[in-house]
Amino acid sequence: MWNDILINILEDGLFAAIAAIGFSSISNTPRRAYLTCGLIAAAGHTIRYVLTTPAFGIMHIIPASTLASFAIGVLAVLFAARIKCPAEVCFFPALLPMIPGMYAYRTIEALLSCLYHTQEDAFEYYFYLLAYNGLTCSFIILSLVVGATVPVFLFKKLSFTATR
Amino acid sequence: MRTMTSMNSNKSLDESVLRETAAFLAEYASLLSGCGATCIRIEKNTRRLADTFRVGFDISIMPTHVYVSVWDDNPAEAVMTVRKTIACGISFNLNAKLSRLSWEVSDNNLGLAAAIQRFKRIRKTKPTGKWETLFLTSLANASFCRLFGGDEVAMLIVFISTLAGYRLKQIMLEDKRDIRLTFLCASFFSAAMSAGGHIFNIGSTPEIALGTSVLYLIPGVPYINSVSDLIYRHYLCCISRFLDSFVLTVCLSAGLCAGMLLLGLKWF
Repeated sequence: MWNDILINILEDGLFAAIAAIGFSSISNTPRRAYLTCGLIAAAGHTIRYVLTTPAFGIMHIIPASTLASFAIGVLAVLFAARIKCPAEVCFFPALLPMIPGMYAYRTIEALLSCLYHTQEDAFEYYFYLLAYNGLTCSFIILSLVVGATVPVFLFKKLSFTATR
Repeated sequence: MRTMTSMNSNKSLDESVLRETAAFLAEYASLLSGCGATCIRIEKNTRRLADTFRVGFDISIMPTHVYVSVWDDNPAEAVMTVRKTIACGISFNLNAKLSRLSWEVSDNNLGLAAAIQRFKRIRKTKPTGKWETLFLTSLANASFCRLFGGDEVAMLIVFISTLAGYRLKQIMLEDKRDIRLTFLCASFFSAAMSAGGHIFNIGSTPEIALGTSVLYLIPGVPYINSVSDLIYRHYLCCISRFLDSFVLTVCLSAGLCAGMLLLGLKWF
């Protein structure tokens, strides 16, 4: 059982790192920052995975995302000076794999279903799905950004002297 | 919008020097704004430069323009310059280079001429190669699919549909097409391609492939920037960045919906 969990954690970290490096290339991230972005993304995504896994604590995805993004923010502030880049360069790509794409997709799907079903019962059911997925998606995004920005705000001096 | 002031000047400066300084600071701030820096970073970096040049300094950052005023002794005689935000696309590379420039100027006490010379070199920075971005983005979106529980077949479908959709986005942006139309078309294209998995029953998670195929288009950086601007009370820029991103998200959703409806996907 623990072997499976460990493999899942490693797999989760690996794919999060690949996603972060790939998405960072869209934003013209310097190549020297790729590895750092990947490692920070892997750490953040793994923390969220562990916190939401039944074997460890089944935390709700919103507080788990906040804690994971806070860790990403702290790591980004610490590592930014090593690669001579602003902290945002490290934490933006690292946050992208945690953006709740499937919740966003299910929100759109529920919205279409609301328009498609005119019966009250069916409409209410899909409206519930729309509200649930939409709210969860919005609060995850908010928690991600606030969690990662707080360390930049707390360690302001360190954050804004990274490129020195 | 917030305003910030610095005043370190003792000696009197020629008005032409003041004008040149204001023009440089406005150019610097507008490029930093255009490459996706947060308002707090634009303020801090530009102020650092102004302090090094020993001039009084004010900056107002608006969604599409930057206003800089510079003075010697008397703020009432300030020289003011307005620059339109340079639309260079989000570039962390430029952001890092411009931030480093402000520290180089400050730490080595460089003059205006040297700063302008280095700034011109930075402006020539080339973006990441388009084929490299295309491949890495496709790989990233396929990994995204895996993180959401997609199987190997779904990953392959997402990789191919992202490759096609992102290439379309690159071509349309090179042709200077409207960015909203570009997002709509790229999203439609990717969604229509990845819907193949659902229509032909390929793999065990076709719905994850379809849902993930357009996620590479989500404008994550402006969303995150808007929250940063909110924290530092740059409300106008916050709302502007948020609405820009929201409009693009609506466009990509519309493309996805159009793809699903045209292909007759009715599992809901």
